[in-house]
Amino acid sequence: MSFGSPYLTLPDFQYSRPKSLQEALQLLDEHKDEAKILAGGVGLFAFMKERLVDPRYVLDIKGITELQTLRDEGSEGLTIGAAVNLNSVLEFEPLKERYKALRDCIYLLSDPVLRNRSTLLGDLCEALPYVDSPAPLLIFDAEVETASLKGKRRIPVSEFIRGVAEIALEPNEIAVAVHLKAPPENSRSLFLKHTSSGEFSVTNVAALCANPSRPENRTVRLAYGAIAPTPTRVRDVEELFKRKAPITQLIDEAVKVIMKSVEPMTDVLATAEYRSHMLGVLSIRAFRELLGC
Amino acid sequence: MLRKMAQMICMKVNGVDRRVEIKDNELLLDVVRDKVGVKSVKAGCWRGECGLCTVLLDGKPVKSCLVLAVEADGKDVKTAEGLAPEGQLVPIQRLFVEKGAMQCGFCTPSFVLTAYYLLQVNPNPTEQEIKDYLSGHICRCGTYKQMIEAILECAKLNNQKKQAAIEKAKR
Repeated sequence: MSFGSPYLTLPDFQYSRPKSLQEALQLLDEHKDEAKILAGGVGLFAFMKERLVDPRYVLDIKGITELQTLRDEGSEGLTIGAAVNLNSVLEFEPLKERYKALRDCIYLLSDPVLRNRSTLLGDLCEALPYVDSPAPLLIFDAEVETASLKGKRRIPVSEFIRGVAEIALEPNEIAVAVHLKAPPENSRSLFLKHTSSGEFSVTNVAALCANPSRPENRTVRLAYGAIAPTPTRVRDVEELFKRKAPITQLIDEAVKVIMKSVEPMTDVLATAEYRSHMLGVLSIRAFRELLGC
Repeated sequence: MLRKMAQMICMKVNGVDRRVEIKDNELLLDVVRDKVGVKSVKAGCWRGECGLCTVLLDGKPVKSCLVLAVEADGKDVKTAEGLAPEGQLVPIQRLFVEKGAMQCGFCTPSFVLTAYYLLQVNPNPTEQEIKDYLSGHICRCGTYKQMIEAILECAKLNNQKKQAAIEKAKR
Protein backbone atom coordinates (compact mmCIF):
# COMPACT_ATOMS: atom_id res chain seq x y z
CA MET A 1 0.00 0.00 0.00
CA SER A 2 2.56 2.56 1.09
CA PHE A 3 5.39 1.07 -1.05
CA GLY A 4 7.93 1.90 1.62
CA SER A 5 8.14 5.52 0.54
CA PRO A 6 8.87 8.39 2.87
CA TYR A 7 5.91 10.70 3.47
CA LEU A 8 3.77 7.54 3.68
CA THR A 9 5.71 5.41 6.14
CA LEU A 10 7.47 5.85 9.43
CA PRO A 11 11.16 5.03 9.84
CA ASP A 12 12.01 2.01 12.02
CA PHE A 13 11.89 2.44 15.76
CA GLN A 14 11.09 0.52 18.91
CA TYR A 15 7.86 1.45 20.62
CA SER A 16 7.28 1.25 24.34
CA ARG A 17 4.44 2.24 26.58
CA PRO A 18 5.79 3.02 30.04
CA LYS A 19 3.21 2.60 32.78
CA SER A 20 4.56 5.23 35.13
CA LEU A 21 6.43 8.50 34.86
CA GLN A 22 9.34 6.90 36.69
CA GLU A 23 9.58 4.15 34.08
CA ALA A 24 9.36 6.68 31.24
CA LEU A 25 12.10 8.80 32.80
CA GLN A 26 14.36 5.79 33.22
CA LEU A 27 13.93 4.84 29.57
CA LEU A 28 14.52 8.40 28.50
CA ASP A 29 17.61 8.67 30.67
CA GLU A 30 18.94 5.52 29.04
CA HIS A 31 18.28 6.60 25.43
CA LYS A 32 18.32 10.43 25.69
CA ASP A 33 18.49 11.99 22.20
CA GLU A 34 17.69 8.67 20.56
CA ALA A 35 14.22 8.65 22.09
CA LYS A 36 11.18 10.74 21.30
CA ILE A 37 8.12 11.22 23.46
CA LEU A 38 4.79 10.30 21.86
CA ALA A 39 1.61 11.90 23.15
CA GLY A 40 -0.89 12.67 20.36
CA GLY A 41 1.59 11.96 17.60
CA VAL A 42 0.07 14.54 15.26
CA GLY A 43 3.30 16.51 15.03
CA LEU A 44 5.77 13.71 15.73
CA PHE A 45 4.48 11.32 13.07
CA ALA A 46 4.27 14.08 10.46
CA PHE A 47 7.92 14.97 11.08
CA MET A 48 8.94 11.30 11.13
CA LYS A 49 7.23 10.66 7.81
CA GLU A 50 9.24 13.48 6.30
CA ARG A 51 12.36 11.98 7.94
CA LEU A 52 13.00 15.26 9.73
CA VAL A 53 12.94 13.29 12.98
CA ASP A 54 14.25 9.74 13.12
CA PRO A 55 14.24 8.39 16.69
CA ARG A 56 15.35 4.85 17.55
CA TYR A 57 12.91 4.69 20.43
CA VAL A 58 9.41 6.08 20.76
CA LEU A 59 8.04 6.36 24.28
CA ASP A 60 4.25 6.55 24.39
CA ILE A 61 3.22 8.50 27.50
CA LYS A 62 -0.55 8.37 26.94
CA GLY A 63 -1.06 5.55 29.44
CA ILE A 64 0.62 7.33 32.35
CA THR A 65 -2.03 8.36 34.87
CA GLU A 66 0.09 11.15 36.39
CA LEU A 67 0.13 12.91 33.01
CA GLN A 68 -3.63 12.82 32.56
CA THR A 69 -4.24 15.60 35.09
CA LEU A 70 -6.79 18.25 34.15
CA ARG A 71 -7.45 20.30 37.24
CA ASP A 72 -8.85 23.71 38.11
CA GLU A 73 -7.51 24.98 41.40
CA GLY A 74 -9.47 28.22 41.48
CA SER A 75 -7.19 31.09 42.41
CA GLU A 76 -4.20 28.74 42.18
CA GLY A 77 -4.78 28.38 38.45
CA LEU A 78 -5.21 25.53 36.05
CA THR A 79 -3.10 22.42 35.35
CA ILE A 80 -3.15 20.53 32.08
CA GLY A 81 -1.19 17.27 31.87
CA ALA A 82 0.90 16.20 28.89
CA ALA A 83 -1.36 13.27 28.01
CA VAL A 84 -4.68 15.16 28.01
CA ASN A 85 -6.13 15.45 24.53
CA LEU A 86 -7.37 18.79 23.24
CA ASN A 87 -11.04 17.79 23.11
CA SER A 88 -10.92 17.08 26.85
CA VAL A 89 -9.33 20.47 27.48
CA LEU A 90 -11.86 22.18 25.23
CA GLU A 91 -14.80 20.62 27.09
CA PHE A 92 -13.37 21.53 30.50
CA GLU A 93 -15.77 24.00 32.14
CA PRO A 94 -13.27 26.65 33.42
CA LEU A 95 -12.05 27.25 29.87
CA LYS A 96 -15.40 28.51 28.71
CA GLU A 97 -15.14 31.84 30.56
CA ARG A 98 -12.02 32.33 32.66
CA TYR A 99 -9.49 30.96 30.20
CA LYS A 100 -11.38 31.81 27.05
CA ALA A 101 -8.28 32.85 25.07
CA LEU A 102 -6.95 29.32 25.47
CA ARG A 103 -10.31 27.85 24.53
CA ASP A 104 -10.50 29.93 21.35
CA CYS A 105 -6.95 28.95 20.51
CA ILE A 106 -7.60 25.22 20.92
CA TYR A 107 -10.81 25.50 18.93
CA LEU A 108 -8.86 26.92 15.98
CA LEU A 109 -5.79 24.81 16.51
CA SER A 110 -6.86 21.60 14.81
CA ASP A 111 -10.06 19.92 13.69
CA PRO A 112 -12.39 17.99 16.03
CA VAL A 113 -11.14 14.57 14.91
CA LEU A 114 -7.46 15.44 15.35
CA ARG A 115 -8.28 16.97 18.72
CA ASN A 116 -9.14 13.48 19.98
CA ARG A 117 -5.39 12.83 19.83
CA SER A 118 -3.43 16.08 19.80
CA THR A 119 -2.23 17.68 23.03
CA LEU A 120 -1.47 21.20 24.22
CA LEU A 121 2.09 20.42 25.27
CA GLY A 122 2.64 18.65 21.97
CA ASP A 123 1.77 21.86 20.17
CA LEU A 124 3.91 23.96 22.48
CA CYS A 125 6.94 21.64 22.28
CA GLU A 126 6.97 21.87 18.47
CA ALA A 127 7.99 25.47 19.08
CA LEU A 128 7.67 26.34 15.42
CA PRO A 129 6.80 29.98 14.84
CA TYR A 130 3.32 29.21 13.51
CA VAL A 131 2.07 27.16 16.47
CA ASP A 132 -0.84 28.78 18.28
CA SER A 133 -0.58 27.80 21.92
CA PRO A 134 2.24 30.12 23.16
CA ALA A 135 0.36 33.43 22.92
CA PRO A 136 -2.60 32.46 25.14
CA LEU A 137 -0.27 30.65 27.55
CA LEU A 138 1.84 33.80 27.85
CA ILE A 139 -1.09 36.00 28.90
CA PHE A 140 -1.93 33.49 31.65
CA ASP A 141 1.72 33.48 32.87
CA ALA A 142 1.90 29.76 32.17
CA GLU A 143 4.77 27.57 33.28
CA VAL A 144 5.85 24.23 31.88
CA GLU A 145 6.52 21.59 34.51
CA THR A 146 9.28 19.22 33.50
CA ALA A 147 10.51 16.02 35.11
CA SER A 148 13.74 14.07 34.98
CA LEU A 149 15.27 11.47 37.26
CA LYS A 150 16.85 14.36 39.16
CA GLY A 151 13.48 15.90 39.95
CA LYS A 152 11.01 18.44 38.70
CA ARG A 153 11.33 22.06 37.65
CA ARG A 154 9.07 24.78 36.32
CA ILE A 155 9.96 26.92 33.33
CA PRO A 156 7.91 29.98 32.29
CA VAL A 157 6.63 29.62 28.72
CA SER A 158 8.54 32.79 27.80
CA GLU A 159 11.80 30.99 28.65
CA PHE A 160 10.67 27.56 27.50
CA ILE A 161 10.59 28.54 23.83
CA ARG A 162 14.12 29.58 22.95
CA GLY A 163 13.98 29.76 19.19
CA VAL A 164 12.62 28.02 16.12
CA ALA A 165 12.03 24.38 17.17
CA GLU A 166 14.25 25.00 20.18
CA ILE A 167 12.95 24.45 23.69
CA ALA A 168 14.48 24.51 27.13
CA LEU A 169 14.04 20.78 27.62
CA GLU A 170 17.09 18.66 28.43
CA PRO A 171 17.44 15.34 26.56
CA ASN A 172 16.55 13.46 29.76
CA GLU A 173 13.52 15.59 30.61
CA ILE A 174 9.82 15.20 29.84
CA ALA A 175 7.39 18.11 29.81
CA VAL A 176 4.74 16.70 32.13
CA ALA A 177 2.22 19.52 32.53
CA VAL A 178 1.49 23.14 31.91
CA HIS A 179 0.28 25.38 34.73
CA LEU A 180 -1.74 28.51 33.99
CA LYS A 181 -2.05 31.23 36.62
CA ALA A 182 -5.60 32.32 37.38
CA PRO A 183 -6.54 35.50 35.50
CA PRO A 184 -7.68 38.55 37.52
CA GLU A 185 -11.30 38.49 38.74
CA ASN A 186 -13.87 39.45 36.09
CA SER A 187 -11.34 39.43 33.31
CA ARG A 188 -12.14 38.56 29.74
CA SER A 189 -9.73 37.18 27.21
CA LEU A 190 -9.65 36.27 23.55
CA PHE A 191 -7.48 34.80 20.84
CA LEU A 192 -7.39 36.01 17.24
CA LYS A 193 -5.62 34.28 14.43
CA HIS A 194 -4.90 35.22 10.87
CA THR A 195 -3.96 32.24 8.73
CA SER A 196 -2.35 31.58 5.40
CA SER A 197 -4.37 29.47 2.97
CA GLY A 198 -3.88 26.48 5.26
CA GLU A 199 -4.39 26.42 9.00
CA PHE A 200 -1.01 27.83 9.98
CA SER A 201 -0.98 31.19 11.70
CA VAL A 202 0.63 34.10 9.90
CA THR A 203 -0.12 36.24 12.92
CA ASN A 204 -1.93 35.45 16.14
CA VAL A 205 -2.79 37.54 19.15
CA ALA A 206 -4.03 36.66 22.64
CA ALA A 207 -5.28 39.43 24.87
CA LEU A 208 -6.82 39.80 28.31
CA CYS A 209 -8.57 42.65 30.09
CA ALA A 210 -10.06 43.24 33.54
CA ASN A 211 -11.91 46.35 34.76
CA PRO A 212 -11.92 48.15 31.40
CA SER A 213 -13.83 51.16 32.74
CA ARG A 214 -11.62 51.87 35.79
CA PRO A 215 -8.18 53.04 34.63
CA GLU A 216 -6.46 52.64 38.03
CA ASN A 217 -7.54 48.98 38.30
CA ARG A 218 -7.42 48.23 34.62
CA THR A 219 -5.39 45.17 33.65
CA VAL A 220 -4.55 44.67 30.01
CA ARG A 221 -2.26 42.00 28.60
CA LEU A 222 -1.32 41.14 25.04
CA ALA A 223 0.92 38.49 23.52
CA TYR A 224 1.52 37.58 19.91
CA GLY A 225 2.87 34.60 18.02
CA ALA A 226 3.73 33.47 14.50
CA ILE A 227 5.14 36.88 13.60
CA ALA A 228 8.71 36.47 14.77
CA PRO A 229 10.71 33.29 15.50
CA THR A 230 9.56 33.36 19.12
CA PRO A 231 6.27 34.46 20.73
CA THR A 232 6.28 37.63 22.81
CA ARG A 233 4.22 39.21 25.57
CA VAL A 234 4.32 42.98 25.18
CA ARG A 235 4.69 44.10 28.77
CA ASP A 236 5.14 47.75 27.85
CA VAL A 237 1.45 48.13 26.99
CA GLU A 238 0.36 46.90 30.40
CA GLU A 239 1.38 50.07 32.28
CA LEU A 240 0.21 52.29 29.47
CA PHE A 241 -3.40 51.23 29.91
CA LYS A 242 -3.45 52.32 33.57
CA ARG A 243 -3.37 55.98 32.49
CA LYS A 244 -6.44 58.19 32.52
CA ALA A 245 -6.98 59.03 28.86
CA PRO A 246 -9.62 58.28 26.26
CA ILE A 247 -9.56 54.58 25.42
CA THR A 248 -9.17 55.17 21.69
CA GLN A 249 -6.06 57.24 22.33
CA LEU A 250 -4.58 54.54 24.57
CA ILE A 251 -5.28 51.89 21.94
CA ASP A 252 -3.53 53.98 19.28
CA GLU A 253 -0.49 54.38 21.54
CA ALA A 254 -0.50 50.71 22.53
CA VAL A 255 -0.58 49.56 18.92
CA LYS A 256 2.42 51.78 18.18
CA VAL A 257 4.29 50.21 21.12
CA ILE A 258 3.37 46.71 19.93
CA MET A 259 4.45 47.37 16.36
CA LYS A 260 7.74 48.80 17.60
CA SER A 261 8.44 45.77 19.81
CA VAL A 262 8.36 43.24 16.99
CA GLU A 263 10.92 42.21 14.42
CA PRO A 264 8.66 40.42 11.98
CA MET A 265 10.04 37.68 9.78
CA THR A 266 9.54 36.78 6.15
CA ASP A 267 8.96 33.14 5.27
CA VAL A 268 6.93 31.06 2.79
CA LEU A 269 3.69 31.98 4.52
CA ALA A 270 3.97 35.77 4.48
CA THR A 271 6.30 38.75 4.26
CA ALA A 272 7.46 40.70 7.30
CA GLU A 273 5.55 43.74 6.09
CA TYR A 274 2.28 41.82 5.83
CA ARG A 275 2.75 40.19 9.22
CA SER A 276 3.47 43.50 10.83
CA HIS A 277 0.38 45.07 9.27
CA MET A 278 -1.81 42.16 10.42
CA LEU A 279 -0.41 42.44 13.94
CA GLY A 280 -1.67 46.01 14.04
CA VAL A 281 -5.08 44.96 12.72
CA LEU A 282 -5.50 42.08 15.17
CA SER A 283 -4.27 44.13 18.14
CA ILE A 284 -6.81 46.88 17.42
CA ARG A 285 -9.58 44.30 17.07
CA ALA A 286 -8.58 42.61 20.33
CA PHE A 287 -8.42 45.87 22.32
CA ARG A 288 -11.69 47.19 20.91
CA GLU A 289 -13.49 43.98 21.75
CA LEU A 290 -12.10 43.74 25.28
CA LEU A 291 -12.25 47.44 26.18
CA GLY A 292 -15.68 47.86 24.66
CA CYS A 293 -15.26 50.61 22.11
CA MET B 1 13.57 -3.80 28.39
CA LEU B 2 12.10 -2.60 25.13
CA ARG B 3 10.03 -4.95 23.07
CA LYS B 4 11.21 -6.60 19.88
CA MET B 5 10.35 -4.84 16.65
CA ALA B 6 7.81 -7.37 15.38
CA GLN B 7 4.98 -8.36 17.66
CA MET B 8 1.45 -9.70 17.79
CA ILE B 9 -1.34 -7.34 18.66
CA CYS B 10 -4.95 -8.16 19.30
CA MET B 11 -7.70 -5.74 18.43
CA LYS B 12 -11.41 -5.97 17.87
CA VAL B 13 -12.22 -4.83 14.35
CA ASN B 14 -15.93 -4.39 13.70
CA GLY B 15 -16.77 -6.76 16.52
CA VAL B 16 -14.35 -9.53 15.52
CA ASP B 17 -11.15 -10.22 17.47
CA ARG B 18 -8.13 -10.05 15.19
CA ARG B 19 -4.62 -11.12 15.98
CA VAL B 20 -2.18 -9.43 13.65
CA GLU B 21 1.59 -9.47 13.45
CA ILE B 22 2.92 -5.97 13.11
CA LYS B 23 6.10 -3.96 13.27
CA ASP B 24 6.28 -1.08 15.72
CA ASN B 25 6.42 1.53 12.97
CA GLU B 26 3.32 0.35 11.11
CA LEU B 27 0.37 2.70 10.91
CA LEU B 28 -3.09 1.62 11.97
CA LEU B 29 -4.27 2.71 8.51
CA ASP B 30 -2.00 0.21 6.72
CA VAL B 31 -2.73 -2.62 9.13
CA VAL B 32 -6.50 -2.19 8.94
CA ARG B 33 -6.45 -2.08 5.15
CA ASP B 34 -3.73 -4.55 4.24
CA LYS B 35 -3.58 -7.02 7.13
CA VAL B 36 -7.18 -7.01 8.32
CA GLY B 37 -8.56 -6.31 4.85
CA VAL B 38 -11.04 -3.56 5.67
CA LYS B 39 -11.00 -1.38 2.58
CA SER B 40 -13.49 1.35 3.46
CA VAL B 41 -10.68 3.05 5.36
CA LYS B 42 -9.00 5.11 2.66
CA ALA B 43 -5.58 6.66 2.39
CA GLY B 44 -5.56 10.25 1.19
CA CYS B 45 -3.00 12.74 2.43
CA TRP B 46 -1.17 10.57 5.02
CA ARG B 47 -0.75 13.60 7.26
CA GLY B 48 -4.03 14.09 9.06
CA GLU B 49 -5.49 16.74 6.82
CA CYS B 50 -8.09 14.99 4.67
CA GLY B 51 -9.76 12.70 7.21
CA LEU B 52 -10.31 9.82 4.76
CA CYS B 53 -8.60 7.30 7.04
CA THR B 54 -10.91 8.02 10.00
CA VAL B 55 -11.84 5.05 12.18
CA LEU B 56 -13.61 4.92 15.53
CA LEU B 57 -10.98 3.89 18.08
CA ASP B 58 -12.75 2.88 21.29
CA GLY B 59 -15.74 4.74 19.92
CA LYS B 60 -14.03 8.03 19.12
CA PRO B 61 -13.02 9.17 15.64
CA VAL B 62 -9.27 9.33 14.99
CA LYS B 63 -7.24 9.65 11.82
CA SER B 64 -5.56 6.27 11.42
CA CYS B 65 -2.67 7.64 9.36
CA LEU B 66 -1.45 9.28 12.57
CA VAL B 67 -2.01 6.32 14.88
CA LEU B 68 0.38 3.41 15.30
CA ALA B 69 -1.13 -0.03 14.92
CA VAL B 70 0.50 -1.00 18.22
CA GLU B 71 -1.45 1.77 19.94
CA ALA B 72 -4.66 -0.05 18.98
CA ASP B 73 -3.54 -3.20 20.82
CA GLY B 74 -6.44 -4.35 22.99
CA LYS B 75 -8.75 -1.69 21.62
CA ASP B 76 -11.94 -1.59 19.61
CA VAL B 77 -11.72 -0.39 16.02
CA LYS B 78 -14.86 0.38 14.09
CA THR B 79 -15.18 1.29 10.42
CA ALA B 80 -18.16 2.02 8.18
CA GLU B 81 -18.61 -1.75 7.63
CA GLY B 82 -18.96 -2.18 11.37
CA LEU B 83 -21.94 0.17 11.53
CA ALA B 84 -23.91 -2.27 9.35
CA PRO B 85 -22.56 -5.75 10.15
CA GLU B 86 -25.51 -7.61 8.61
CA GLY B 87 -25.77 -5.26 5.66
CA GLN B 88 -28.60 -3.40 7.43
CA LEU B 89 -27.63 0.25 7.02
CA VAL B 90 -27.89 2.48 10.07
CA PRO B 91 -30.05 5.61 9.54
CA ILE B 92 -27.12 7.92 8.81
CA GLN B 93 -25.83 5.55 6.11
CA ARG B 94 -29.29 5.20 4.57
CA LEU B 95 -29.76 8.98 4.57
CA PHE B 96 -26.40 9.54 2.87
CA VAL B 97 -27.74 7.31 0.08
CA GLU B 98 -31.19 8.91 0.00
CA LYS B 99 -29.85 12.47 -0.07
CA GLY B 100 -27.21 11.62 -2.65
CA ALA B 101 -24.53 12.82 -0.24
CA MET B 102 -21.69 11.52 -2.38
CA GLN B 103 -20.40 11.55 -5.89
CA CYS B 104 -17.32 9.34 -6.25
CA GLY B 105 -17.84 7.83 -2.79
CA PHE B 106 -14.18 7.78 -1.79
CA CYS B 107 -14.64 9.94 1.31
CA THR B 108 -18.11 8.64 2.21
CA PRO B 109 -17.12 6.00 4.82
CA SER B 110 -15.10 8.56 6.77
CA PHE B 111 -17.84 11.19 6.72
CA VAL B 112 -20.39 8.57 7.78
CA LEU B 113 -18.28 7.57 10.77
CA THR B 114 -17.69 11.11 11.95
CA ALA B 115 -21.36 12.01 11.42
CA TYR B 116 -22.38 8.89 13.35
CA TYR B 117 -20.17 9.94 16.27
CA LEU B 118 -21.33 13.55 16.11
CA LEU B 119 -24.97 12.50 16.45
CA GLN B 120 -24.07 10.37 19.46
CA VAL B 121 -22.45 13.24 21.33
CA ASN B 122 -24.70 15.98 19.96
CA PRO B 123 -28.17 14.67 19.00
CA ASN B 124 -29.33 18.12 17.85
CA PRO B 125 -26.48 19.74 15.94
CA THR B 126 -27.02 23.05 14.16
CA GLU B 127 -25.85 23.44 10.60
CA GLN B 128 -22.83 25.41 11.84
CA GLU B 129 -21.95 22.73 14.41
CA ILE B 130 -22.04 20.10 11.67
CA LYS B 131 -19.78 22.20 9.46
CA ASP B 132 -17.34 22.71 12.34
CA TYR B 133 -17.36 19.06 13.25
CA LEU B 134 -16.66 17.93 9.70
CA SER B 135 -13.91 20.50 9.20
CA GLY B 136 -11.24 17.81 9.39
CA HIS B 137 -12.65 15.99 6.38
CA ILE B 138 -12.32 16.79 2.72
CA CYS B 139 -14.76 15.75 -0.02
CA ARG B 140 -13.16 16.46 -3.35
CA CYS B 141 -16.51 16.21 -5.16
CA GLY B 142 -17.93 18.85 -2.87
CA THR B 143 -21.12 17.12 -1.75
CA TYR B 144 -21.02 18.85 1.63
CA LYS B 145 -24.47 20.37 1.19
CA GLN B 146 -26.13 16.99 0.80
CA MET B 147 -24.14 15.54 3.72
CA ILE B 148 -25.32 18.34 6.00
CA GLU B 149 -28.90 17.71 4.85
CA ALA B 150 -28.51 14.00 5.58
CA ILE B 151 -27.15 14.66 9.07
CA LEU B 152 -29.88 17.19 9.90
CA GLU B 153 -32.54 14.77 8.63
CA CYS B 154 -31.02 11.93 10.65
CA ALA B 155 -31.08 14.06 13.81
CA LYS B 156 -34.75 14.84 13.12
CA LEU B 157 -35.65 11.17 12.63
CA ASN B 158 -33.72 10.11 15.75
CA ASN B 159 -35.60 12.68 17.80
CA GLN B 160 -38.96 11.65 16.37
CA LYS B 161 -38.17 8.05 17.22
CA LYS B 162 -37.15 9.04 20.74
CA GLN B 163 -40.32 11.12 21.13
CA ALA B 164 -42.47 8.22 19.90
CA ALA B 165 -40.81 5.89 22.40
CA ILE B 166 -41.51 8.35 25.23
CA GLU B 167 -45.17 8.67 24.15
CA LYS B 168 -45.47 4.90 23.99
CA ALA B 169 -43.99 4.50 27.46
CA LYS B 170 -46.52 7.05 28.80
CA ARG B 171 -49.39 5.04 27.39
